[in-house]
Amino acid sequence: MQTSSLEAATQTPARPKHRLGLLLLPLVILAGMGLSVEAGLLGPLGAQVGHLWATLSIFGVGTAILLLLLLFSGPQKGPALNELPRWQLIGGFLGPMYVVVLTLATPHIGIAMTMIAILSGQVGKSVLIDHFGWFGTARKRVNGERWIALLLIVVALVLIARG
Amino acid sequence: MNLILLLVLVVAAGAVLSVQAAINGRLGQTVGVLRSSLVTFSVGTLVTGLLILFFEPAQAVSLLEVPKWQLTGALFGVVYMMVMVGAVPIVGTAVATVAVIVGQLAMGMLIDNFGWMGNTAIELSTSRVLAMLCLALALVFMYRSSTRQAD
Repeated sequence: MQTSSLEAATQTPARPKHRLGLLLLPLVILAGMGLSVEAGLLGPLGAQVGHLWATLSIFGVGTAILLLLLLFSGPQKGPALNELPRWQLIGGFLGPMYVVVLTLATPHIGIAMTMIAILSGQVGKSVLIDHFGWFGTARKRVNGERWIALLLIVVALVLIARG
Repeated sequence: MNLILLLVLVVAAGAVLSVQAAINGRLGQTVGVLRSSLVTFSVGTLVTGLLILFFEPAQAVSLLEVPKWQLTGALFGVVYMMVMVGAVPIVGTAVATVAVIVGQLAMGMLIDNFGWMGNTAIELSTSRVLAMLCLALALVFMYRSSTRQAD
């Protein structure tokens, strides 16, 4: 505790960043709510036209919107995309992979179980990424408070499993 | 199919989502939110298109025949992607992930409870509300631990 307050004291220049983080949090929660709306739309849509087609509608429309935004927002700062390390470009492979696994698994293990497995993987991996600073992210180690948070998430998952 | 194998596969699929958030956050820092999101969406479109060409059985209904409001999901997807790309470098992958899950579950419960957008209605239960509270508390702890050890 004492060392952490000492660390905080030596890092006063980082303060505005914290406040920005606090402002961002509601925005991220809202984005998560939007994701549920998307899932709510995708479920019935996928049942009618097929899950891959439903996914294509998301990615296709998204690409079109972003392309238009990009075209009309003028020259972009930073290096060209083909100058970057290849691994930074694979984000797009991971989305379709997720959809395929989901459509394969849900009929066999049920929606609740699928959801819990997804959330565990998501939270677990995100904590690991922070802890080790993988993919060039800033390191945020697992400490007492993170353990409490993880415990609470496990409780939440058990509660969801019970319905 | 083997159930345990399936479960491992689904956990891995969840892990993949966090990897995507981390990679895109990193990418967004160098090339900007718009271009980073465009990479994700265009690669996603191409990969899904290939998967459809080679693996999708013929469907009775096409995307052109469903009501148009069912195609608006992408709007939310784009906003999500851009917010995540902006937020991950600042608050970290774990905090962003848990915050998304809190929003997702809260909205998911509303959608379930009222059966919005053609989904089957599932009534809100006490254990679901408790789960929501636990997650919100988890987010608070996760966020506090992040600000304490900010880079």
